[in-house]
Amino acid sequence: MMRQPPESGRTRWLAWATMLLVAGGTLVTGRAGAEDPAQETRVVDQDVQDLKKQLLDLNRDLFKLEEEILYPSSTQVAVFLSLNVGEFFKLDSVTLKLDDKEVSNYLYTEREVQALHRGGVQKLYLGNLKAGKHELVAFFTGKGPHDVDYRRGASLSFEKTVGAKYVELRISDREAAMQPEFVVRQWD
Amino acid sequence: MALIQTLVLAAAVAAALAFSLAARASSATLSSGSPAPDFVLKSTDGRNLRLSEYRGDVVVLTFWASWCGSCPSALAELNAFAAGPEAGRPVVLGVSLDGDAGRASSIAQSLGLKFPTLVDAHQAIGRLYDVETLPLTLVVDRDGIVRGSWASAPAPKTEFNRVLEEIGQ
Repeated sequence: MMRQPPESGRTRWLAWATMLLVAGGTLVTGRAGAEDPAQETRVVDQDVQDLKKQLLDLNRDLFKLEEEILYPSSTQVAVFLSLNVGEFFKLDSVTLKLDDKEVSNYLYTEREVQALHRGGVQKLYLGNLKAGKHELVAFFTGKGPHDVDYRRGASLSFEKTVGAKYVELRISDREAAMQPEFVVRQWD
Repeated sequence: MALIQTLVLAAAVAAALAFSLAARASSATLSSGSPAPDFVLKSTDGRNLRLSEYRGDVVVLTFWASWCGSCPSALAELNAFAAGPEAGRPVVLGVSLDGDAGRASSIAQSLGLKFPTLVDAHQAIGRLYDVETLPLTLVVDRDGIVRGSWASAPAPKTEFNRVLEEIGQ
């Protein structure tokens, strides 16, 4: 039997207490407007929808706040990945190294590759870096032309300044050479 | 009336936050009621499969290895459930903790496994799921919550079926 931390007990107690409050509140509001049950049902349904929306908004705000605290813009570096066509390359995985240290190794499912083909941009990495010179190396693996195993690297040396740094990895087709092209570029 | 509604709203938000905190505090070990950690692994047929992409389906997850004596019988029993969601059956995913994908593949073939075999070559997912004994079988519901787990031996049929029935499978 594992002992639970005291925080867990407190938060659970708080959860039960608030749930009781919610139940009580709902009962009170239910009694107050119980004259027309159909109308009341519609009102409650609308309230629930509003509540859901507000919870989603709150969740989004908390997510943004967490990101701002953990990755302040002064040190933030984010790496995005996009696909342009991709006829000559079927993406399987991307390994990302920052200053020779592996920071991300991502395996792509069929569904994720399809989403990228439809124009999606993936945030592959989010982290912090000190100001100064840095090197980013990305290794792409997958199937190349004629369904042959393909592994290619691309790198970028960049200067991290005070503001956030955004880097894009883009895989596109080089029609003339009938080969994929891997581009790493900074967003200004 | 407006005041009461505001109070109800505030209380509901607080409840949601408190439940979220409680869930985080108690997620140290993976047990029934815990969210199944998401992962992506390469299967022996070359596909990359992500657990969260099966959200909406009941998933039976089984960890095994070539050196585990009771694993073949557990895998053979699960083969019966491997028809897939289109037949209204749970999705079965096997996770081999063998370091060698070729070995995992040949064993899966020799056992005639109909479900995908994922290769956890570095045992990273095994550690994520606190796998201490093999085989380990988990039932994950449509919301990604673990509803049952059995270690060391094949899951007892009656208990296994009861869990599946409880989650409407």
